[in-house]
Amino acid sequence: MTNSKPGLLVPRRQALLGAAAVAASPLAKPFIANAEAAEPIKIGLLLAKTGGIAAQTEYLANGSYLALEERGNKIMGKPAELVWLDEPSPQGSQQNMRRLVQENKVAAILGGSLSSNGLAEQATAAQLKIPFVCNNAAATEMSGKNCNRYTFRLNTPVAVQAAMFAPYLMGYGKKWYFITANYAFGQDIAKSFKEILHKAGGTIAGDDSVPLNTPDYSSFILKIREAKPDMILGGVPAGDLSTFLKQWNEMGMKGKIPICEIAIGDTDIWAVGTEAATGLYTSLWWYDNPANPPEEKAMAAAYLKQYGKPAADKTWMGWVAAKSLFDAMDAVKSTKADDIIRGLESWKGGTKENPYYWRKGDHQMLLRNLVVQVKPKVTDKWNYFDVKGMVPKDVADLEKVFGDPVANGCHMT
Amino acid sequence: MLALILSQMATGLVLGGLYVLIAIGLSIIFGQLGIVNFAHGGFFALGAYFALSLYNQFGWPAVVLAPVLVGLVGMLVERTLIHRLYDKEPLISLIVTFALALMIEALLQRIYGGVGRPFSQPPILNGIYLWGPLLITKYRLAVFLLCMAILVALWAFMQFTPYGRILRAGSRDPEMVGLLGIRLPRVLTAVFGLGCALAGIAGVLAAPLWTVIPAMSEMAIMPAFVVVVIGGLGSFAGAVIAGLLVGVVSALTVQFEPDAANAVMYVFMAIVLLLRPRGLLGERWERFE
Repeated sequence: MTNSKPGLLVPRRQALLGAAAVAASPLAKPFIANAEAAEPIKIGLLLAKTGGIAAQTEYLANGSYLALEERGNKIMGKPAELVWLDEPSPQGSQQNMRRLVQENKVAAILGGSLSSNGLAEQATAAQLKIPFVCNNAAATEMSGKNCNRYTFRLNTPVAVQAAMFAPYLMGYGKKWYFITANYAFGQDIAKSFKEILHKAGGTIAGDDSVPLNTPDYSSFILKIREAKPDMILGGVPAGDLSTFLKQWNEMGMKGKIPICEIAIGDTDIWAVGTEAATGLYTSLWWYDNPANPPEEKAMAAAYLKQYGKPAADKTWMGWVAAKSLFDAMDAVKSTKADDIIRGLESWKGGTKENPYYWRKGDHQMLLRNLVVQVKPKVTDKWNYFDVKGMVPKDVADLEKVFGDPVANGCHMT
Repeated sequence: MLALILSQMATGLVLGGLYVLIAIGLSIIFGQLGIVNFAHGGFFALGAYFALSLYNQFGWPAVVLAPVLVGLVGMLVERTLIHRLYDKEPLISLIVTFALALMIEALLQRIYGGVGRPFSQPPILNGIYLWGPLLITKYRLAVFLLCMAILVALWAFMQFTPYGRILRAGSRDPEMVGLLGIRLPRVLTAVFGLGCALAGIAGVLAAPLWTVIPAMSEMAIMPAFVVVVIGGLGSFAGAVIAGLLVGVVSALTVQFEPDAANAVMYVFMAIVLLLRPRGLLGERWERFE
């Protein structure tokens, strides 16, 4: 039972109030428009929050936030913010990417901490027509046969890193033992280096494909010890590499057989400890590299001041991926996908002597890699590496080393 | 090849010893409280992190203090949360302890960050033993011996002390124990604390071997569940036998089929459950039927 009078659907007082509100609505328009103007530009951050890779994503995220803070938390002169969602699995990452686009209305997305996630996310980016700057995944296909015009990939593809790293490895001998993780990243490493070893006339002393998150490597280490290889070619990611190196040292193997791997993170080595760390690796950036340009030195100093510890390679990767996106948006003054893509394709970073940029043909970042080696005696809990060289040696060889996009299988659509 | 297989079996036994220690606390908590504690891996990780933090303050005594602290945290959790689950559906305890596991991991990540922390064994335990073809590290041997000593002490405590008798009786017929004038709630708090402390000891011992990261809890919880299920829920001896078997089977699988090294324990569990649904030494408990 209601109090309204029969025959009148809306009580007279409410009808009057409603009419008054409709009549007055134009008066409110400027305030609504102002509220829209104050709505920040949102950029999605899609990085794992838990699991073994979280050690790296912490730095990737910090680098991304630092890039935004450096410009006063503004893009195109408007307030901007990062919205960070998790990457629990390839499927979960795709769902969260949809949430970022459909619920949070982000203009672009940064992320892709693992190759398996990155591959899934780049397909979703193409479906959703959203610019996706992948800041960590290294699987070769991402800028090869799986490339698409919405995805920009920062990390150097596994096959390219393998080709650049190979001359350093041949000095150890040609009898290699492969220990690689049994998912996209590890399989890619095994395939690329086996091709190189085969061409060089080398032999495979052993080939173990290891499950992710293996807590105990002692049985694998016993096999390696028995096989007596010249060198170990690793392809185990993040925390798994730390565990392997700890147990390698614990079983008295450190210094007996060289360990080499590509695309490691500084955090993987920091977790090992000064006594157990060993190996020769490729990396994209090292905070103590004297060749770092002033802008990157300033970023590293800001990071040290804010977090009380040195910036890792992943900090730089998070920072440069985000910076290139924000710079691109500033340049094109637009949040539309096509404009952002155009802006990213024109973006350039680094110095004249050592530039890096997104290649138009496959949206792969072309940049020189570092070859780093753990110091013979580590005395500082952060400063583990000596930089052995930059590859390719001549910056003019960048295009050649990364290969032709079409020959790599990329047919941009 | 025979020499390598023997080495792998020795390595597997040592790994199995650690699995037993992780699993035994889980088994005790289920056996006495009827709670399937998904947060057990979280207490394992807490042990490693507490040792890490306390080591900076107290040096090596931290390895003793850390499990005690984990036990105290466990008792606090039981008093505030777990005791509300005793008369509830088992599914609720699964969900609550799963949420607790996520919370502990998130908390560790918040406090310590996601980056792994280095933690080395005592220098006195550096080095390896080589007996013919057998290779074993001093630290792993020490871990194995310590695990066995703890298990023997625990068994003796349960079998020969009045407190142990109360625990065993309480697990079978809590009402009768209550009618005899024993304050069972306090006993249950202590049991939960003991289970967590055992997970904490395992965490401390694993810290020099594994990477100390918040996600190490996930690496511990699944083998622990497999061991408890294979051994028989709540069975002490079953967990010991199952843990050692899982360690040896995993090590031998690495030798012949490394891809399947992690999956083999689940296959082994499936086979055992098909042949003996209550596990190797599982008994029929009216309370849980």
